[in-house]
Amino acid sequence: MKKILTTVMVLALVAMCAFAQAAQEEVYPNKNINLTVPYGAGGTTDLTARALANAMGEKLGVTINVINTPGAGGSAGTLNVQNAKNDGYSLLANGMLAFCTMPINGYTDKTFREWDIWIATYAPNVIVVPANSPFNTIQDLIEAIRQNPGQITAGTAGIGSGGHFGAEVIKSIAGADYKHITYNGGAAAFTATLSGEVQFCPQLLAEYKDAIIGGQVKALCTLSDEDITIAEGITIPSIKDFYPEAAKFLPMGEVTGILVPKGLPESYLEKLDEAFAVAVKDKAFLDFCESKSFSVNVYDRQHSQEFMENFASKACWLMYDAGAVTISPADYGINRL
Amino acid sequence: MALQYISTAFATVFQPMNLLVMCLSTLAGLVMGMLPGLSATMAIALLTGLTYNFPTQTAIIALLSIYVGAISGGCQSAILLNIPGTPASAATALDGHPLAKQGRGGLAIFLATTSSFLGTFLSVIFVMTLTPVLTKLALKFTSWEFFLLSIFGILICGTITSTESQIKGWIAGILGLMVSMIGLDSVNTVARFSYGNVNMMSGIQLIPVMIGLFGFPEILKAFKLNNDEQVIPSSKFEAKEGFRLMGRNMVKVIRSAAIGVGVGIIPGVGEDTAGWLSYWATKSLSPEEEKKTFGSGNPRGVISVEAGNNACIGGAIIPVLSLAVPGSAPAAVLLAAFYMHGYRPGPLLMTESPSFLYNVCIYIAIASFCTWLLALVLSKGTVKILGIPKKYLMPIIYTLCVIGSYLINYNMFDVKVMFVFGIFGTLLTSLHFPAAPFLLGVILGPMCDSNLRRALNLSDGSLAPLVQRPICIFFLVLIVVMILAQLGVFKKLMGKKA
Repeated sequence: MKKILTTVMVLALVAMCAFAQAAQEEVYPNKNINLTVPYGAGGTTDLTARALANAMGEKLGVTINVINTPGAGGSAGTLNVQNAKNDGYSLLANGMLAFCTMPINGYTDKTFREWDIWIATYAPNVIVVPANSPFNTIQDLIEAIRQNPGQITAGTAGIGSGGHFGAEVIKSIAGADYKHITYNGGAAAFTATLSGEVQFCPQLLAEYKDAIIGGQVKALCTLSDEDITIAEGITIPSIKDFYPEAAKFLPMGEVTGILVPKGLPESYLEKLDEAFAVAVKDKAFLDFCESKSFSVNVYDRQHSQEFMENFASKACWLMYDAGAVTISPADYGINRL
Repeated sequence: MALQYISTAFATVFQPMNLLVMCLSTLAGLVMGMLPGLSATMAIALLTGLTYNFPTQTAIIALLSIYVGAISGGCQSAILLNIPGTPASAATALDGHPLAKQGRGGLAIFLATTSSFLGTFLSVIFVMTLTPVLTKLALKFTSWEFFLLSIFGILICGTITSTESQIKGWIAGILGLMVSMIGLDSVNTVARFSYGNVNMMSGIQLIPVMIGLFGFPEILKAFKLNNDEQVIPSSKFEAKEGFRLMGRNMVKVIRSAAIGVGVGIIPGVGEDTAGWLSYWATKSLSPEEEKKTFGSGNPRGVISVEAGNNACIGGAIIPVLSLAVPGSAPAAVLLAAFYMHGYRPGPLLMTESPSFLYNVCIYIAIASFCTWLLALVLSKGTVKILGIPKKYLMPIIYTLCVIGSYLINYNMFDVKVMFVFGIFGTLLTSLHFPAAPFLLGVILGPMCDSNLRRALNLSDGSLAPLVQRPICIFFLVLIVVMILAQLGVFKKLMGKKA
């Protein structure tokens, strides 16, 4: 008798759990969400993600935990999310440059078209040189690269990083190669520029805005398509003021957003749409963008694919033409625009 | 001006609300530091989210307190269980755990906590007085210097083990280096030894390896001995003896603090390395007969490691404040948190918010004192762990090991890594290979590898810069002397003279 009673009770418990599970699944989100940042803490992507995560979490009524999984030029964390159970609790925050070039780098077969994307910010590349550098204008630098092909060193955050794209634009304009020195992230590349280990750094403005204002590095130009004023009396000219032929690459820079593999129920996606729309208007997020000189550049889920088609084509073909990758973007249906 | 800032900072800390926040954060930090797998980095990252809506100063106090607490807390589990709570206190276990086994766990904790406090405090003085000079020094470190520093770190493998097993220390260190090569390399992003596995591609995480190496053998050992003779009577603080020992070892504390600050200011090298280097310095500068007692419960070992790794806090904050470049992983998260609270560390900090540097220093100093008090109170309870029979204790530790490994990236792969290295660690222990050099190899491997290749790339394959740069020459001389000393060349020379 006792045995039967116990069995019944255990069964009842199991059934209750199962029902509880079913009841829970109807509301999303009902537990904390993990937002993977495939770069180290403190970098551009990380800071943007944290600012967004706070505001989105508030709207969704849960905590969004930011998880940093640096390594492999951002592909390790991206693949983690891609391979995780797609239940809406595993999101990705990534820079679109590294993200959209993953297939042509051979890291994955899935292109940006298999993800739902919300785009939040744009951060332009700025070419900086150490304060004591002999280069005072972008012409000086480009001339030096032409004179010494393969000798002028550029410090970037790695292959496929925002800085790498910036350097590739410079290479196309100069028509000669630079020497690529890769570091573990933008901060390390910037330190190497400060110490004079590398001759120029083509990373993102956000990473060294204060150092430019403080006079520790000289800014030669930006790869945005208009001049940028970062402080009173300090304006960084666009590269197209000097080299109009650069216009076809502009605006070059990192575009950051939130992503999730396609396949979530529409009701989940609408919740995320809503939270994202609130987050990009959040005061703390806007203040953060202002302080880092990001432009808030919002594309919602419906419009981001359109934007990405254009962006990915530009980025992938720049890498392919530069010989940095051997897989043709055309293999993934990414056509030259 | 500076005095005014300092007094305002004091006034801020001693507001009742802030004092309460400080105590709670240090306590949370201590507990997280004690639990293996919950690192200082994670503690700060979690708290950053929580303090988002706090008043700015309160938030900064909370973040700095949890940082200090977490780095100091790791020593307790290292001493009591031989499982370091954070990689920073891995070296504490070398002498701390043997002390605990001798029934002097209370003393070991007292010494570790007191030197943690002194280390942090001294580092704050460095920050307040030497920030501009040290920033310049940090910028002198380029790829070649990083490479030599990592080689130097790896070379201490033979020294941090007991004298009779030096060669085994070397072997373990090399094995660790080999493990650290797994994953995508940071120079050309090429997958190495990953066999197409995505998890292997992101590399072997440090913390699961550490938990496996240190924690797992302890659990298995408990299986082997099924009698209760292992129970150690819970030990007292021996505060009098503790203060006496501290007093006699002030030179070592100061030396370790200087090493800690030095390691801290170099971007990318953190608390763990600082602890090992301080340990090495103290051991190799000790008289010959005393060297043998390191690794079997020498209080000086505990003192120097804890002073060193805590001094790293101040060191790591220097480049954060002056360059906005973090000196260690927890400092990187701290930097992000500063941004979030509207401060912009970097070259403009001193003109935009000159009081911030002083605030940070005072907060750290008071937080370290708060940590000292709380850690001693907490350890009244924690030393009792030693008295718990292993059959109750070990299942709990086992669970903590698994959870700790999982929490790093919320990834089951890390748990598997922990098991693999647990079995490997047991093998090492049973063959009398020390685990510490292995861990050191895993910590320093990536730094050594990527910096050498970057440096060679910069110099077109030439080794000439090695002998052209002053800091490089300094390190080269140090390395040569160290190798010769370990080969016993000096002893032979001295012997001939005599």
